[in-house]
This record gives sequence, structure tokens and C-alpha cells, in this order.
Amino acid sequence: MFERFTKAAQAVLLNAVQDAEQHGAGEITAEHLALAVLVGEGTTAAGILDEYGLPRAEATDAIRATQRRGGLSDADTAALRELGIDVDAVVTRVEQTLGEGAISAAGKPARRRGLLGKSYRPFTDEAKRVIEGSLREAMDRGERRIGDEHMLLSVLSRHQVTAEVLAAHGVTYIGVRARLAKAS
Amino acid sequence: MSEATQLASAAGDQDPRVGLRAVVALRKLLERLEAVQVRNARTNGWSWQEIAEALGVSRQAVHKKYGRA
Repeated sequence: MFERFTKAAQAVLLNAVQDAEQHGAGEITAEHLALAVLVGEGTTAAGILDEYGLPRAEATDAIRATQRRGGLSDADTAALRELGIDVDAVVTRVEQTLGEGAISAAGKPARRRGLLGKSYRPFTDEAKRVIEGSLREAMDRGERRIGDEHMLLSVLSRHQVTAEVLAAHGVTYIGVRARLAKAS
Repeated sequence: MSEATQLASAAGDQDPRVGLRAVVALRKLLERLEAVQVRNARTNGWSWQEIAEALGVSRQAVHKKYGRA
């Protein structure tokens, strides 16, 4: 299955795994995948994002901010504000006692041993849906291989946080799909 | 406010969509906080049984949810 991904898409997956490891996350999330797509350079997805003039650093920071909140989107935060709950205040309080990034690093501990004694990190259900979605996006376009542009499409349509962050810069699923169609 | 406006305003306030969205967001936040505190408890040497008692659930439920550790 891995061979069906282009080099760029394989890099996205590996990048996401590394990112999770570096930040002590127990699971690989859709946020990790989205961030990995955003750091691509010279890839099809990168080309499209450059056409939009997406400021990568800003978008990355915004996604990391939601990671700090445990993946709660701006819409989630707004909904809770209506109830009088300030999510950022809650996160800050937790971090004061349990350290920076306490909420983003929580989840299943990555201590299960796989082959060769390496720590095994599962993908969250949402991350799995994003990966499966990228296969669907490629198939919908009649492409045999899954590229990082398909991962971009998948994360835009299946991950609310990414959709929100990128929409703020005019990057939408429909727009990206249209540009891909024009390019081929 | 006229009665019509009052009714419209009340209907908006009672819109289940808004309320339910808040519930979903609160549940997400709750799940994250639970994960953080369970991890914290394990780091502090708590047994699954002790954690389960504090959460008011069965040991099996906590163990299943938070995996082998």
C-alpha cells in the first residue's frame, strides 16, 4: 500500500510519524498529517499552496495552537465560549501544573512494543480517515498513485481544523480541486 | 420587543444545533482532560483500579480505553 503513495506523500506520512515522536505524542493525529503536508517543498501540494500565497508559518502556527488545545477547532472553542468556558484558560491552567503541551501530548501512551522493540504509535481514527480519504481523492481523479495533493484534499475535507485554518487564507477544498483539474 | 421578535429570539436561543454543537465540543474537551489526568495518575504510580475508582468506572473500562502501559 505504501508504494501507491508518491515520494512526496510517503514523506508526509513519515514526517507525521516523526513529528508525533518528537513531541511525545502517543498517537499520530490528523493535525500531524496536516502539518506534514504544509512543510512540503517542491511538491504538487506545495505548488498549489504557493499559488494561493498561503503563509506557511502562520498556518502551521494556527494548527499547532489547536494541537495545544487537544485538537479543538476554533468552532469548538467558540461553542464553548457560549457556555462560558474559556478553553485557552483551561489549557493554560493544565499546563501550569503538568507542563507545556500537556494536553497535546496526552492520549494513548506510545509504550506498546512492536517489532524490534520500537515504540508503536497508532494513527487516530481521524488520521486513518484522512489517509483513506487521500486514496479516495486519488481514485476520484483516476490517478493510480496517491500524491501529497490528494492528502491536501483529504485533510481539507475530512479535518475541520485544517479546513478552518486554510479557509482563513482562501484555500478551500473546492478551490484546490478546481486548480488540480485545470492543471491536468 | 414585539411578540414576533421575542418568539424569533427565543427560537434562536433554543436552536438545538447550537446547543448540541457546544455539547460535542465540551465532550471533546472532557476527553482530552481525562486523558491528561489518567496519564498524570499513571506517571504518579496509580494503579488502573485506583484511577477507575476516581473516575467512577470499571478497571476494565479504563484499561481498555487507555491501553497497556
